[in-house]
Amino acid sequence: MITVTINGREIKLEKPVTVLQAARSAGIKIPTLCYHEQLEKYGGCRLCLVEVEKMPRLQTACTLMTTDGMAVRTETEAIAGVRRGILEFLLINHPLDCPYCDKAGECELQDLVEKYGPTASRFREMKRKVPESLEDPVLVRNMERCIVCTRCVRMCEGVQGASAISVISRGGHSHIEPFSGGKFECEYCGNCVSVCPVGAIMSRLHRHSYRPWQVVSETETICPYCGVGCTMVVQVRDDVIKRVVPRIGTPVNNGLLCSRGRFGYEFVGSGERLTGPLIRKNGVLEESTWEEAIGLVANKLSEIRDKFGGGAVAGIASPRCTNEDNYVFQKFMRVTLGTNNIDSTARLGFAGAQSFIENIFGQGATANLIPGLSNSDAVLVIGGDPTAVNPILGLQVRSCARKGGTILTVGHVKGLRHYSPVEVKPSVNTEDVLLEGIVSALKDKKGLPGSHAALEEKIKIIATSPQDVTKACGIREEHLLRFVEVLASSATPSVLIGKELLQSAGASYRLLLICALNYLVNGRIYLLSERANEQGLLDVGCVPDLLPGCRPVGYEEFRKRYESLWKKALPEKPGLSLFGMIDAARAGDLKSIYIMGENLVYNVPDSSAVEAALKKVDFVVVQDIFLTETAKLADVVLPALSWGEKEGTFTNMERRIQRLRKSVHRQGLEDWRIISEISQNMAVKMNYADAEGVFAEMSRVSPLHRDLAYEDLEGGKAIYPYKGEPLRGVAAEIRTDRGTGMEAAGKFFLRIERPLFHSGTLSRRAKALVNIYAGAVARISPEAAGSLSVKDGDVLRISTEAGSLELPVSVDQSVDGRCIMLTNNFEGKGAFGLIRYALDPVIEAPALDGVEVRVEKG
Amino acid sequence: MEKVLLKNIDNPDSADIGQYLKSGGYQSLPKALTMEPKDIIEEVKKSGLRGRGGAGFPVAMKWTFASADPKFPKYLLCNADEGEPGTFKDRPILEKNPHLLIEGMAISGHALKAEYGYIYLRGEYPAAKHILEAAIGQAYDKGFLGDDILGKGIRFHLAVHQGAGAYICGEETALIESLEGDKGQPRIKPPFPVNVGVFSKPTVVNNVETLSNLPYVLEIGGEAYSKIGSPDCPGPKIYCVSGHVERPGVYELPMGTNLRDIIYTHCGGIRGGRQLKAVIPGGISTPVLPPDKIDCPMDFVNMPKHGSMLGSGAVIVMDESVCLVKVCYRALRFFEHESCGKCTPCREGTGWLRKILGRIENGEGMDGDMDLLLSVSGNMLGKTFCPLGDGAASVVQNFIKHFRPEFEEHLRTGACTVKG
Amino acid sequence: MFSEEAIKELDGIKAKYPTARAALLPAIYVAQREFGWLSADAYEAVADILGVPRAIARGVGTFYAMYKNMPAGRNVVQLCTNVSCMILGAEKLVDFLKNKYGLEPGGTTPDKRFSLVIMECIGACGTAPAMLVNDDFYENLTENSIEGILGKYK
Ligand SMILES: Cc1cc2nc3c(=O)[nH]c(=O)nc-3n(C[C@H](O)[C@H](O)[C@H](O)COP(=O)(O)O)c2cc1C
Ligand code: SF4
Ligand code: FES
Repeated sequence: MITVTINGREIKLEKPVTVLQAARSAGIKIPTLCYHEQLEKYGGCRLCLVEVEKMPRLQTACTLMTTDGMAVRTETEAIAGVRRGILEFLLINHPLDCPYCDKAGECELQDLVEKYGPTASRFREMKRKVPESLEDPVLVRNMERCIVCTRCVRMCEGVQGASAISVISRGGHSHIEPFSGGKFECEYCGNCVSVCPVGAIMSRLHRHSYRPWQVVSETETICPYCGVGCTMVVQVRDDVIKRVVPRIGTPVNNGLLCSRGRFGYEFVGSGERLTGPLIRKNGVLEESTWEEAIGLVANKLSEIRDKFGGGAVAGIASPRCTNEDNYVFQKFMRVTLGTNNIDSTARLGFAGAQSFIENIFGQGATANLIPGLSNSDAVLVIGGDPTAVNPILGLQVRSCARKGGTILTVGHVKGLRHYSPVEVKPSVNTEDVLLEGIVSALKDKKGLPGSHAALEEKIKIIATSPQDVTKACGIREEHLLRFVEVLASSATPSVLIGKELLQSAGASYRLLLICALNYLVNGRIYLLSERANEQGLLDVGCVPDLLPGCRPVGYEEFRKRYESLWKKALPEKPGLSLFGMIDAARAGDLKSIYIMGENLVYNVPDSSAVEAALKKVDFVVVQDIFLTETAKLADVVLPALSWGEKEGTFTNMERRIQRLRKSVHRQGLEDWRIISEISQNMAVKMNYADAEGVFAEMSRVSPLHRDLAYEDLEGGKAIYPYKGEPLRGVAAEIRTDRGTGMEAAGKFFLRIERPLFHSGTLSRRAKALVNIYAGAVARISPEAAGSLSVKDGDVLRISTEAGSLELPVSVDQSVDGRCIMLTNNFEGKGAFGLIRYALDPVIEAPALDGVEVRVEKG
Repeated sequence: MEKVLLKNIDNPDSADIGQYLKSGGYQSLPKALTMEPKDIIEEVKKSGLRGRGGAGFPVAMKWTFASADPKFPKYLLCNADEGEPGTFKDRPILEKNPHLLIEGMAISGHALKAEYGYIYLRGEYPAAKHILEAAIGQAYDKGFLGDDILGKGIRFHLAVHQGAGAYICGEETALIESLEGDKGQPRIKPPFPVNVGVFSKPTVVNNVETLSNLPYVLEIGGEAYSKIGSPDCPGPKIYCVSGHVERPGVYELPMGTNLRDIIYTHCGGIRGGRQLKAVIPGGISTPVLPPDKIDCPMDFVNMPKHGSMLGSGAVIVMDESVCLVKVCYRALRFFEHESCGKCTPCREGTGWLRKILGRIENGEGMDGDMDLLLSVSGNMLGKTFCPLGDGAASVVQNFIKHFRPEFEEHLRTGACTVKG
Repeated sequence: MFSEEAIKELDGIKAKYPTARAALLPAIYVAQREFGWLSADAYEAVADILGVPRAIARGVGTFYAMYKNMPAGRNVVQLCTNVSCMILGAEKLVDFLKNKYGLEPGGTTPDKRFSLVIMECIGACGTAPAMLVNDDFYENLTENSIEGILGKYK
């Protein structure tokens, strides 16, 4: 217990804190500028100087630690003079352009000068003149206004870990620049913008159109992009989103955002949004009315259901829609149409992987808290770059490294390059051998815990020597041994699994090996998730074999419960999975498909095949916010309200349930409302007053969500397991398939990367993100460029039997060997168009990684 | 008094190890290696040796703190940044007597149980870099440095780290930042380098001249050493005198030699028998003294009592031909150029003061400028992150304190009385 | 990209320190020698070889006064004008260089033969005025002696 006196007031402290923290805890204000609670101490601005008894010099409250008996004075005449003096120093070179500056009204310097500052300037010379830098598409730099508090630099280096900007020169010439001096060419998290106390670094999106005091409404909501589920504040004026900012103290992202979250909101107001229902009349989609459209859909679906049975209809749910939308949708499929044919793009890896892992470790095995990551002493990353797929989670990995944890990466993990002492890059399709090697070594080092018979069955038979690994994967033996050493000696390891691994040949076997590894080191598993509500849609039952709350349809006693609640008999057999639907469609067995908020043609591999399949379906309904590649094929297109315009909930990858809030108004209906309207028209009652009403029913029906109400979600408190009970029991035996990947030797092969700046359908309509990253490129290694004799900008033709793409080349040191790095984010340029895949028989994910491609100069 | 630090520097190959050995070098190191580290520190304590870098901090005290810290490895850094304008006392040791420094560092390394040492050498001394590296090479060959010094199983490795033109890197925490590959900006203290220094390990930073005293301390013993010069601040001291004296240069004299004697006896007085106008006794940052205030013993304890500081012992002598407004202006131009930019008062204040002084010097001063100078420097004094900013402010305050009339003359007439 | 020899040299430098980052200052010296001055490419090369973010390498490089962040002449005249040199006439020498060689402080002669950098104290106050030409010290300068000295640098 420490006691300090500040301005005569006694303050008791549990542990030593800085004088500033002590003062603030007692409500005593000390002005600061370079200090920021998220950043490393600096002590440069000198504004927080205070008098401390027995200390000859004034002390900076932001750096000085309290000691017992310390006596501090913060409000003397002298101190007032000091503050005036410091502010005068800051002003001599600071332009007086407040009326014109976007920061006015939320500028820390302006506020301080009002409170403590000098009245007139005694500086007679010319102020420093620096032209405003407008070279960057999203960030504006105004170095005349910079006060060199270095908060942006400390944020970029110490928290974001991008180190993209630095102080250039020194003394009075100090100013902040990105490496290029103009464009930032960084991760565009915009967190520097958050911490800049003045108008020196600002977002360009709302330039001269934003005034803090003109913000009409502020809505706290959840980011629409990835599975991390960051909380963000949406600021609105004239019913238009002007700015998105993070808030300190929120769960998961605590004051930080990534480029997509901060700058990706413009899709909401995009001119490409669908305005009214469309109906295909003699071949072309024509505007129509809600009445006509809903009537038509209801009739056609009833007709098909009655004629061919519910099994002839299939539904695609959406990882971008809320739990409420998805719950209503699966109920519609099961109750109104009487089929379990419901699935989503979660099938492309996430869904199968999660049930595989849960079969081994039990439900919730992947529901681990993201902030916890930074406290691990070792993190294994395989199959993806967390800093690109789930950026805010990626920051936790970087922070773990900064705290002394060891980061181990397998494969191409660009965002962690400066953070992992050992990156191993196994040659194409040899990850399994590498993992076997690690598991065997760990088994010998640590022995079998003996707590999981089924899993140990599998582990016992694994015997791959370091030499085998070196031979097969082309990895240096000491690297492998270092890997094993770190994992074996780690007390709190975490394992991050990305899509590339789930979408590789023999994915289930590789997953088994990762589970084995995780079991041997007793680690925590994180499944990277690209879509905001991928987890949620699984939990609310948008799965062919699981009812809401993840209860298998096969079990009668479960089914009965739902039937009694829904007052309707339910189909017993599991329905068709995504790929089953596509096959059925191709075979002509599928009469109708209802696609909610999913760009199926684009987001499922082998696009042309998907397109062909859909064309064979008599009646295609697409419900979306844009006329996507998929919507263009529909017979009826129903426009939905978007993320920014509706209430509801998302469940993030931690399985934290959080509330989405309406920030702007728009004519139209929420996805769930459209569907219940249709259901009503099919004489199956579904009337919910609002999203909360839907949630209320869901929490009655789903044992997982039992007794949850909106108020339970406040402040991110709804963490798995909620009030209800999770599914017990793990599999007695584990099925896997080793698969057969291509032979590496000398061939070009394809890898799909998930770039930081894009998600696809949404991000393509977000101007800022397009400005940062305008179009698809093929990234190849210098060697590959050499052997193909191409250079940056040249066009490459990349083809497979499934299709062919022409893309500009970008030569990149970080890409290795004969790997061709493609993305699936740009219209008409998606890598998925190239891929004819085989499914993993167990997790049913398509093998895309390491597919062989033909490459020639285009 | 026989020279210790500048011994036989006039000998052309004094930098060669052969020459150094011939003149009795590397005698104290073997002796030290047979001693317990704590006993060496005890000896240094007895000697009363104080740091020669400017602060005059007792060496034994700093060493005791570092030794007390349980963390290893420990580092010994030699501060050879010699940036204080007017200072050229370390350069002759570095260029002419490098083995004295190397021997001193090897001894200190053993005393501190430090296994690694670096000499942080200012970028402006390229010649010294080659000389030092050659000398270090010779010392390794002869086994005075390395993993097993003179077969005594004691390890000390030494390397030169070259700065690149930044006065602030003389400040010990900025020096550490610079050695770690960062900008030379001072660190928050505490933690102090003796606990968390370079590479986050316990670190002792000592000046070239300080470390070069160690062989002698061990040679004659702390007791005897403490008898040289000023009682509470003993030892030989290199004074470097520049400006308008007959014989400028480096003078190794007992600590506490009277400033007037240095100027008039040792340096032969003011050149051409002109009038003395002002003396800066310890490098630009130390308070300037008028002619009637130079009867003072030049050491760390007495100079403050006489209104200035010993600083680096760099005596700058100015005769009547000098315009002090201009000198003050030039000094501030220096501080403006060297401000690291970390803290507001120094970053903005040095430039502002330079501008005001500039206009006064150019005859464009405005009324109120004297008060403005005092007020702006007052707003810096005691509020900056490190002493550089304080130094800048105190230069202005002291020049005005002693020579206000000359400044006011400039303001009034818009011209300089001493120009030409 | 660095030359083979430079890479060898840098390996030697790295070996002197416990961290790669600590080799940044010497590595920047090597880079400016190899690339002539500290262009973006030079900083990229330094950043790559040490595994230091490039913006940081540049930030550090621009902090120090003696690094060439601008293209410079073949020979760099570094003339001290700090107090001890100033009161012994360093400023006349600045004027002399201007008149005789058209060499402005911070400037470079049209023929790229000389650049002039005004130095703060270079530790030759006892033999002022003084200058460094590239790595060579010259002291007790006069207008005549300067002419002779510069004559040696082509
Ligand atoms: C702005 C500034 C510049 C300094 N420059 C030097 C220097 O050039 N050489 C030096 O030895 N000490 C210099 N010092 C003092 C060092 O910080 C430190 O006190 C000294 O190196 C300790 O060594 P010593 O105890 O042997 O004197 C400087 C201090 C400050 C604040
Ligand atoms: S006083 Fe401040 S700006 Fe000046 S050198 Fe010290 S820390 Fe840097
Ligand atoms: S807030 Fe304490 S020095 Fe800036």
